Order: sequence, then C-alpha cells, then structure tokens
Amino acid sequence: MNKNDVMIETVDLQKYFKDLHVLKGINTKVTRSEVVAVMGPSGSGKSTFLRCLNRMEEPTSGHIYVEGIDIMAPYIDINKVRTEIGMVFQSFNLFPHLNALENIKLAPMHVRKISDKEATDRGMQLLNKVGLSDKALAFPEQLSGGQQQRVAIARALAMQPQIMFFDEPTSALDPEMIGEVLDVMRTMAKEGMTMIVVSHEMGFIREAADRILFMADGVIVEEGNPDEIFKNPQHARTQDFLSKIL
Amino acid sequence: MTQENEHMPTPSRLADVKAKVGHIPLVRKKQFIYSYLAFLAVYGIFMLPPKGSPSAIELLLVVVYYALALVWAAIIFSDELKSDKIKTVVAIGLLALLGWLYYQYSTARWSEMTFLFFNGDVIRKAWPYLVRGFWTTLFLAIAAAIISTILGLLLAVFRSFNNPVLNFFIILYVDVFRAIPIIVLMMVIYYALPFMNIRLSAIISGIIALGLNSSAYVSEIFRAGFLSIKKGQIEAAHALGLNSIQTMRLVILPQAFRVVIPPLVGNYVASAKDTALASSISIIELLKAALAQKALLANPSPLIFVTILYIVMFVPLTRYSGYLERKMQSSKRQINV
Repeated sequence: MNKNDVMIETVDLQKYFKDLHVLKGINTKVTRSEVVAVMGPSGSGKSTFLRCLNRMEEPTSGHIYVEGIDIMAPYIDINKVRTEIGMVFQSFNLFPHLNALENIKLAPMHVRKISDKEATDRGMQLLNKVGLSDKALAFPEQLSGGQQQRVAIARALAMQPQIMFFDEPTSALDPEMIGEVLDVMRTMAKEGMTMIVVSHEMGFIREAADRILFMADGVIVEEGNPDEIFKNPQHARTQDFLSKIL
Repeated sequence: MTQENEHMPTPSRLADVKAKVGHIPLVRKKQFIYSYLAFLAVYGIFMLPPKGSPSAIELLLVVVYYALALVWAAIIFSDELKSDKIKTVVAIGLLALLGWLYYQYSTARWSEMTFLFFNGDVIRKAWPYLVRGFWTTLFLAIAAAIISTILGLLLAVFRSFNNPVLNFFIILYVDVFRAIPIIVLMMVIYYALPFMNIRLSAIISGIIALGLNSSAYVSEIFRAGFLSIKKGQIEAAHALGLNSIQTMRLVILPQAFRVVIPPLVGNYVASAKDTALASSISIIELLKAALAQKALLANPSPLIFVTILYIVMFVPLTRYSGYLERKMQSSKRQINV
C-alpha cells in the first residue's frame, strides 16, 4: 500500500468527557476510496470517534493525520482541514433561512471564494445528482426528511471534499425515506469517494462498505470486511450485538 | 316535544321553561323588568337634583339612582335567555347614563371645552414649537434605538462566548440598567455628573440614559435569539469550514434576527414613549414643548394635542409589533410541526 493513499490515520486517540473515558486509544487507517462503516452499541463511542476526526469534538490526546498532516498540531487551521472533510449529520442541520440551492452555495462562495455563477452551476449539478433539481428554491421546512438529508449531502459535496463523514445519516428518517438517502450514498461509494459511515444499515454496509470497525466501550474490538464479520464475528461483543440486530 | 326544544330554550319558549322549573322567578318576569324600568324613569324625572354642583344629600340621590340602574342591568346581563344584542344595548346605555350624570353634576366647564382643549388659535401659535419638539422626540427615539441596538448586540455576542468573567460584568450591566428608572438615570447624568466635571449637554444625556436602559433589554432579546438557534446549525457551519465570524454573520445572525424582530420592535416603541421623560432634564421634546406653550399661552390645548399625537403615533406601532409577534408564532408552529 502506498503511503500517500492513507487519507486518515489515528494514533492512540483518546477522549474524556470530564471523568467519562469515551475513547480509549483508537488506532486505525482509512485509505483513499475506502468505505468504512463504524458499528457498535450505543455508548460505544462511535459518534464521538467520528466527531473527533474533524475536531468537532476536541480529542483529549493522541494524533490524527489527514493526508499525512497532523491536525492536532497547534499551528493547524482546523477550518482549512474541515473544508476537505464533508460531514452529514443525523438531524440534517440545513440552514432554515436559506433555500436548498443557497444552502449548497454558502460554503463554496464564502470559504472557497468561487463566483456566484460557478456556485450556482455546481449547486444545480449536485441537486441533480441527488435527484432534487426541482427543489432548488424550496426551503428546508418544505422538504421531507429524506429530501433534507439529500440536500445536506449535496451541501457537503459542494466543497469537493476528499472524504465524507456520515453520522447516523438515516437514524432520524421515516423508514420509507431511508432508501433514497442510501441510494445517494451508494452512488458516491461507487464513484470512489472515501467515506466513514456511522450506521447500522446492514444492507448498505454489506453492499457498499469495504471494512467494518466494530466498537465497544471506547475501543475497536473487531474489524474486517462486512461479509466476514456478519457471517463469522470473532469477538463476544460483536456476536452479541449482531445477534440482536440481525 | 323534540330533543332540540328541551336543550335549547329560546325566549319564545318561556312557557317550556316554566313547565320544567315550575315557576319563573320574580326578577325574570316581564312585568317586573318593565315596572323596574318605569320606576327608574320616574326616579330620573322627579328625584334627581337639577343640573349643577349637588349637595351631599343630592349626591346620595344620584349615586343611589346609578346603583339601581346597575342592578337592573345586572338582571338583564345574568339572563341566559336574553340575546347578546340586548345586552350590548343595555351596556352602552349604562355607560351613556354615567357620562350624562357626570356631565349634569360635575363642576367641569363643559361649555368652554372647545376653547380650552381644542383651541385652533392656540395650536396655530404653538405649532412651530410643537413641530420642533416632534423632531427632537423623533431624534431622541432614533438615536436611542441605534445606540441600544449596537450596545445590546455587542453585549449579546460577548455573552455568547460564555466566558465567566465577561458574563459577570454583562449580567451586572443588564441588571443595573434595568433596575435604574430612566428618569433617575437622566438626572444623574445631567445633574450629578457635572460636579465631577463630566459635562454633557441635555440632549446627549437624554440619549445616553435612554440608550443605556434600552440596551439592557435589547441584549437580553438578542441573547434569547442566539439561544433559540440549535447547536447543530453551528456544527454544520463549522463542518463546512466556515470560521467563527462567518458562522456568526451567515448562519447565526440571519436566523436570530427573525426571532428577535418582534420583541425588538416592541422595545423600540417602549423606548420611544420613554423619550417623554427627557422633558425632566429640560430637553424641549414634544411634551416639554407642549408644557411650555401651555404656560405661555395659558391654554392647555397644546398638551391635549400632543396627547392625541402620542395616541396616533403609538397605537399603530404597538399594533404592528403585536402583529409581528403573532406572525412569528404561527410561522414557528409551521416549522415545528
């Protein structure tokens, strides 16, 4: 494996919330174009792990390398790093005062400083890609949950990130809307986007993920490709968890 | 008899009610109500004293008369079978009677009211001063609004940093300036500070006092606006690489402004009304101008005129802020549901 192909590497990543030890030393690598699913019971630290990777949560100790750069270094401009990392949240977090297209254009125009026309073109392309080109002028409150999440994905993609984080992207959706969001994510995976997905959507993970990180009590207890782990989980925690959700 | 009749007795079905209750109470009987009314008419014609200032006994007769009229009206109001239309007529009659009795027996100079209160000549003479006073009032109100918005917004932004030391001073500021009555603040700035060799003109003192007071309220309004924005909004902005200033300018403020506009308008209206207090430190705004002209021309018409002007200016503004608040509420419901 070429060293340049490592997108994200964590070394002994630790996180405390006051006295609560949430991450107890996470060591892992994510390579370019890899789709990594993070699974684990609630409270295992999987969301915290993801949020530490772009310092949405400040890690207590350890190192995070994004394309070889230590983003925990004191001189790092974390906003610069975040422009390369798209993030999709469980609760969509679209800006309610802006319509779908404006939501998508905001960051490219103000952070990447591209022209309004260029941002509009890119925004319309992305809306088309997520199947919502007819909703460009709709405000978030006029969209269904599934549509909002697809706009949120388009908004993250508009920054042309190197990697995408998904923090339980379908957990807040009604069942009939999960499919449309997973379809978009599947397409992205096929196109070679590097993705870290915290999710329990077994179908999606089996089909699209290259690797599962299974977390419990703040550590990665097992990792491997989905087929292996689903068929033949080694660790007791993994076996227990999978038996409950399968 | 149908079900409907049983449940909804109407005046024309008094007989049904009687059949059910057994008898109609005396006070509900037509004869009683009409004879009572006739009695009031007779009392009014023969027992009420002549127009003019009444003696103690005469005053008692008038008070008893109105009390009896109230009792009669109460009988009508408490009757479920009487229509709302009748009750409205009785209520208006009651108010008219009170007005008429006051007109009859008060020592007020009713005949000179137009000359004293609505004197066109006096208003014409006072007009240039009243106009100047109006502009001063407007200037005070706008200057105070601008100062309080800037100060209040700054305080709220600093408050959002959640630094305990900053918070302490901001909370102190808000508490102190909400506690001091505006008129006291004006007097301290205008009459006490000069002893310390801090000399401010009356108009500047007035603006500062109004601005400081209003800024305390404005900062709380903005703070509530900021608090109404969900944490996810800020996270989403940061995740896109927006820095703190961009997040404030592009994500937080536009959303906060929508929430704060109704209470903010209400606050500006309240603050504009408080400009009248500036008359206490010799600022010739609307009220002071009217008072001065009243004294000069020995006629209170300017004061009455200014009172009406305040009503004309502020009723629409208070209505407007109430309207904004209702609109806000309904749009909020739309988002939440």
